[in-house]
Amino acid sequence: MTERRFHKAIYPTSAVDGAVAAFARFAALTVRDEGEHRVVAVATAKPERALRVARELANYALGLVREAEK
Amino acid sequence: MTQPTNEPSDALGLPPSIVSHDPADGAVTVTVDAVLYPLEALYGAAYIFIDRCFVLLDRPRDGVWSVSLSSKKGDATPEALRAMVGEFANELLAQAWRQKIIEENRAVLETVTTQALAGAMGPPTLDDLAAFDFTEEGFDDPLGIAMSWEEKQQKKSAKDPEPKP
Repeated sequence: MTERRFHKAIYPTSAVDGAVAAFARFAALTVRDEGEHRVVAVATAKPERALRVARELANYALGLVREAEK
Repeated sequence: MTQPTNEPSDALGLPPSIVSHDPADGAVTVTVDAVLYPLEALYGAAYIFIDRCFVLLDRPRDGVWSVSLSSKKGDATPEALRAMVGEFANELLAQAWRQKIIEENRAVLETVTTQALAGAMGPPTLDDLAAFDFTEEGFDDPLGIAMSWEEKQQKKSAKDPEPKP
């Protein structure tokens, strides 16, 4: 399992939730609050796939942040 | 960037106070001073890199941003990572500068936009014209730039009457 920690001051909730919704079909994703972060845990059958999904999810969330800014 | 030191770093040859390297993950993490680089600049620079890198932003402590970059191509050689960090730093600086220009010119932009919108609202009504103050004196024009050609010629002929034949 791989985790990605999204700081709430950088990634709004909507961006993280949007990314999680978009990638939910590629892996088992669980979201939890941990202080100033929202932590997304990514689990797949193959560990390398989980890492790839987690990385793509982070990029997607950043893209949603920028879209929301425009 | 935070307090750069000139100490040699690991294989990357970059200051460890600014750049940390995770060889297992093939990622570099750049630490950025939040006072020098606003979040908008960080977003801008990071967004430009998401086509070639996996990017993760974080705030490890107050006043500091961190940016983790790992190449999508899997190129994790020290040269490639060093180039990636350098390009990101350049882009971050450009974005920060752009933000500063936008902030400084915000008043001008807002004024121009307001005037454009006001012009688009159509001509003034009769009531607007009736209420308009026309008593304002004209601006100073010592060089006669705002004068019409006829006015200039009249003034010139008055000064220098044509010589009698």
